[in-house]
Amino acid sequence: MKWTSVFFLTCISLCATLSTDRAAAADRWFGEGDSLFGTARFFEAAVAYERSYFLSEDAQQRVLVNLAKAEALKQMGEFSRARNDLQRSLTFYGNDSLRKEVNYQVALCAYLDGDASGARSLLMRLRRTFEEVPSSRQFLLEGLVLVDLAEWDDLRGHLMEWFREHADGPAEKERLLQAYDALLNKWGGPPEMLDPGRARMWSTFVPGSGQVYAGSAGWGVLNAFSQVLALGGFGLLVYNGTYIASVVAGLGPFQSFYFGGIRQAGTLAGEKNKSRLEGFRAALGEFLLDVAVQMNE
Amino acid sequence: MNMKGNVLLFIVAVAMVPLTGFAGGHAGDRDEGPSVREDIDFVLHLMARGDLDEGLFVLEGMHPADAHWSDSLSYLTGWILYRQQRLEASARHLLQVNRDSPLFQKSHFFAAYNLAHSGNQSAARSVLNGIGPEGGSMPAALQQLQLGGLALLERDFDSYQRKAVVYSGQYHVMAREEQMMAAHYDRLRGRPDRHPWAGGVLSAVVPGLGKVYAGKTAEGIAGFLYVASMGLTSYDFYRSGGSGSVLFIVSASITGIFYAGNILGSISAVRRSNNEFNHEMDQRILFDMHIPLRNAFN
Repeated sequence: MKWTSVFFLTCISLCATLSTDRAAAADRWFGEGDSLFGTARFFEAAVAYERSYFLSEDAQQRVLVNLAKAEALKQMGEFSRARNDLQRSLTFYGNDSLRKEVNYQVALCAYLDGDASGARSLLMRLRRTFEEVPSSRQFLLEGLVLVDLAEWDDLRGHLMEWFREHADGPAEKERLLQAYDALLNKWGGPPEMLDPGRARMWSTFVPGSGQVYAGSAGWGVLNAFSQVLALGGFGLLVYNGTYIASVVAGLGPFQSFYFGGIRQAGTLAGEKNKSRLEGFRAALGEFLLDVAVQMNE
Repeated sequence: MNMKGNVLLFIVAVAMVPLTGFAGGHAGDRDEGPSVREDIDFVLHLMARGDLDEGLFVLEGMHPADAHWSDSLSYLTGWILYRQQRLEASARHLLQVNRDSPLFQKSHFFAAYNLAHSGNQSAARSVLNGIGPEGGSMPAALQQLQLGGLALLERDFDSYQRKAVVYSGQYHVMAREEQMMAAHYDRLRGRPDRHPWAGGVLSAVVPGLGKVYAGKTAEGIAGFLYVASMGLTSYDFYRSGGSGSVLFIVSASITGIFYAGNILGSISAVRRSNNEFNHEMDQRILFDMHIPLRNAFN
């Protein structure tokens, strides 16, 4: 019996020694990562953090290292990798504030990576998991995601909730809402989207009108004029009795201008939508960031 | 303290001495073995995660004094570069693995493949010939398959036939690829030679026919329609205004440009068609050289 105890004690000593050394090495690499991060050597810092993660056997420390590595990757613009790395810590069931931080950071990285839908579902899960008032930065991220998804109706309700929870009193809340309304008035409300199909249809029946509908009157006039010119050439050549030439040099360019004009009208409408939406989104995003700064002051 | 207690303490003490500083990470005046092993473990962890740049970064920072690590480091560096598709650099590192290493065969087979993929077939052949007969009949058969693939890449059909004689189909890791090599051989031999100048002559006789000859029928028909319609237009202007008419001169000039362009386009279409065929066949051959290596060594 006693010899068995000796065996187990020996094993325990071995494991304890190994663990202690690995933990010390994990701490050392964590510190190394922090100092590299401090000197803006983000790639090297990410490697050092990963090494600490690799060596560490403490679940909480692994989460902390993972968060630090995500910061380094974000500095490098590697949002997708930061998101993937953080997902390793989603299964952590310890400290609530750490879990919340990991979930928030995953959502933030998804948003920065251009996946607004993914970020939204992560933020919804964050709300359901932690049934408490979200922080101001979470409200900000949710707002930015709604702007990206062009969910204008939800955005107003979201802002009201944000201002109610975090604004410095009802007067401040009212002032911020008025600022939001002023911004909407300046833009004439959320941009109305042009229908590329309608633009194409207009150009099918009235050459150039689809371009005018898409807000590009110059292109419309040019396209209509080109078609008239080609048809004129066709008529002139027929009048002169050069029938083959009239088809090749008259109808050929005409059909190119005609069908090309229809396609162009649809493209212009799509581009117009994109530029309008981008401008409005940028203005809203700037407003939300300003609000977040004011809330923090 | 009794006898057994002393023994217990002795064992624990002895067990702890060599482990002190095991995971320290830096080689000091103690044995660097554990430190290098730990670095390599970390590199393997990074590779498993797909963090290849990071793996290379760690490997670049490793300079063990003991030469017996050099094979492992060369192999790992070469393997990461292979996964990054930096094949020439990968081959350089893989070729540094020594013959007495258990990684020798894998490294040299993959180095030869990397060289072949980079277009350096003669270097690939000399690497394959240098692998030697060690390791049994399967590596020897694999060597013959790779050499046969190289012969096909060089379009050296006699050499391929000499290698193909030993293809037995008895190793499942390469049985299918041996058949595929035979199919590639048949396809390469069966394709008629297409000469760019013949395409040009055909298009001079009938506009677009050179492109049909190159296997680009749709382009040929389109080319014919362009030249024919411009030719008819010129004829129309000639008929109505005579040879001095401005419209005729302009139209005939454009027709001439279209006609000459069609001839040049046909020459280029035949060249393009040949290049596309050769490129496609090279990719297929390389693919069928690659799969048996992955099957045999992974």
